[in-house]
Amino acid sequence: MKRRQGWLFFIIFLLTFSIYLLINFPLQLGLDLKGGSQLTLQLIKDDGKVTNEELEAVNAVLDKRVNNLGVAESNLQTLGGDQLILELPGEQNPLSASRILGKTALLEFRTQKENTSSQLKNLQLQRFQINDLIDLFNSVDKQNEDKLLLINNNLSALQNDINYSSSNQDLYDKLIDTKKYISNEITALFNKTDLTGKDLINAGRRQEQTNNNWEVLLSFNNEGGEKFAQITKSIAGTDQLLSIVLDGESISEASVGSQFINTGITGGSATISGNFSAENARELEVQLKGGSLPLPIEIVETNTIGPSLGSKNIMKSLYAGIFGLIFVGVFMIFNYRILGFVSVISLIFYGFFNLALYSLIPVTLTLPGIAGLILSIGMAVDANVLIFERIREELIDGNTLIKSIDSGFKRANSSIVDGHITTFLSCFVLFILGTNFVKGFAATLGIGVVISLFTSLNCSKTILRFLTGYQSLRQKNLYLKNNTNYI
Amino acid sequence: MSILSFNLIKNKNKIFGFSSFLILLSLIGILYSTFNTSFKKPINLGMDFIGGNELRVERICDNECDKISPDLVVEKLRGFSNIKNISNNIKLQIQNNNRLISIRTPYLTIEESNDLITNLDKLVGPLNYESKDSRIIGPKLGKKLLTNCATSLLVSLVAISLYISFRFDKKYALFALLALFHDLLIVFGVFSWLGIILSIEVNSLFAVSLLTIAGYSVNDTVVIFDRIRENLKQSSNNYNETIQISINESFRRTFFTSFTTLIPLVTLIIFGSYSLLWFSISLSLGILIGSYSSILLAPSFLIKD
Repeated sequence: MKRRQGWLFFIIFLLTFSIYLLINFPLQLGLDLKGGSQLTLQLIKDDGKVTNEELEAVNAVLDKRVNNLGVAESNLQTLGGDQLILELPGEQNPLSASRILGKTALLEFRTQKENTSSQLKNLQLQRFQINDLIDLFNSVDKQNEDKLLLINNNLSALQNDINYSSSNQDLYDKLIDTKKYISNEITALFNKTDLTGKDLINAGRRQEQTNNNWEVLLSFNNEGGEKFAQITKSIAGTDQLLSIVLDGESISEASVGSQFINTGITGGSATISGNFSAENARELEVQLKGGSLPLPIEIVETNTIGPSLGSKNIMKSLYAGIFGLIFVGVFMIFNYRILGFVSVISLIFYGFFNLALYSLIPVTLTLPGIAGLILSIGMAVDANVLIFERIREELIDGNTLIKSIDSGFKRANSSIVDGHITTFLSCFVLFILGTNFVKGFAATLGIGVVISLFTSLNCSKTILRFLTGYQSLRQKNLYLKNNTNYI
Repeated sequence: MSILSFNLIKNKNKIFGFSSFLILLSLIGILYSTFNTSFKKPINLGMDFIGGNELRVERICDNECDKISPDLVVEKLRGFSNIKNISNNIKLQIQNNNRLISIRTPYLTIEESNDLITNLDKLVGPLNYESKDSRIIGPKLGKKLLTNCATSLLVSLVAISLYISFRFDKKYALFALLALFHDLLIVFGVFSWLGIILSIEVNSLFAVSLLTIAGYSVNDTVVIFDRIRENLKQSSNNYNETIQISINESFRRTFFTSFTTLIPLVTLIIFGSYSLLWFSISLSLGILIGSYSSILLAPSFLIKD
């Protein structure tokens, strides 16, 4: 009896502590409950597995870019060995984020090969033409066969000029392929130099004075400044151009005037003016500030949830949970009388302990997570049912109340432990192998199973012992429904 | 206790017949789905596994939303789309009194998906962006998810099998596992049929529900086998009768447990959000079949002729 009282105090202490935790550390809600965007990024490596170092390096670069995105409470974390998850609460259009994060953003400075001026001029013209065609294609009604035919004919003429034919059948794909081809041809006219995005210390942007276009400003470190001076010196006053190449595509080609023939362009800074829109300039700025990615990445999953849908999801799950609990509680009290009442109290404790652990660990609550919690309530009730059925049998056999309760708990013990272990095994596997979505479910169900072992075997027993301490609550008919029904 | 007792010894063959019938039906569904449907898979895999784009958004209407025809909207959307393959595979549903629009397409980039929404807004808007739910899954991730789910299922089935064979002697373990595979096969079969008839797709939550059912079903069977073992040790009754008594004794528990687990699931089906609907349905189904198999089928294996 003394030991039980100790347990009672312990349980009350745990309950107070849980409530304290819940008040001071509110639950973290997943994006499906509060609205926002979630991107899953996959590292691409053709040969071999992605190493931990590579994952960390990618993570570090992306982290810098994410911080420059300006979305409050954004969160980037690794998932498994080769994925990252980015959460942008409140963000409803992840397009800009996806463009900023998805690019490798490898910046290179290249110098034009000698005697390629006329070739380059042709290619620049063709690049202009293909961009025009793509713009046209984007604006026309895709059911308008005449217009599409016109675009197709123009494209064929252009492809003839450059001696290229795309293997794709779809018009849009053909346009994109041709654009890529021209862009590669242009890049091939330039020689690599040792100046890259690594030599930058900062990047910025500003609006050009003459027109509305934006330009991106680059500041080099000391070494980078020297390299830049050397490179510009080598082509100053010639017809060779300096190209700024981003991810293999030349985004800007410029000549270096003859006044730089002696020293090159000094001062450690440069400007890229490539017809940037304000948005594009900002994206490039953020990418350059973060540095280039050591491995390319691909956005493999995007979820966007509107804020009102999120709160609707919360309300719906809340209703489901509360109604479920009320029905279960009514059923238990109807069936098991005082025992049912005890199980309802221990279920309430169970709920508090669960939520407190979520905020302690912390577990981010998502929709599948709530499903796991609701299902785990079923498991917790099951344990109580097992025990109470045993107690009932013992009572029917004519044993005393106290003895029945004792052996009820003892004999139900092994079944309960078995059931919990098998469920926990499933949860464990799901948590280790599962995706983000599945992990939420596995986590709440798994935690629920562990707590259920404690509440059903211990809380219920302690409360029951406490209640049976009162003489008036020791009548058998408070525990058994109409004895006559059972022989 | 009359309603609660079911004569297992007499009805053993009926139970086997019923289960065989269900399994046969499931196998037919799985085979039919594999060879005779457009998707050529044992089960209609959702976009979690094959990649794609899913968009659900509500329209803003004053009182009632005016009627729109899905075919007409799809026809007009084709006019805007850049990529043929995608515009030919748009599936559009209009639910909830013309208010809720859901669209499924093959994989789109975020940019293309935004275009789709903008165009949709032009056609049937204004749209309530606050209620938007958009998911884009790349084909690469889809494949990964599928293998991932399959391995999770296999690994945990092996883990459960090991635990059961360690916990019971061989005969009991075998029968518990037979009952388990019986349950999983039937739930799988039902969803094969749902895919064929109603085009219901399964996603990663379906795999989770199978795993949960596995844990649940084994748990149920273990409780009953425990009782049978306990009674066989003590009682001097005849073997078959002892099994019968044990089942009668555990019937109440299994019934109550299934019932109390079904209650929250049913409230989830009624009140829960759309994304949990089929998950809750498959869990409920699994629990019903699991209870049947553990109280009637698994002990029938133990009955001696």
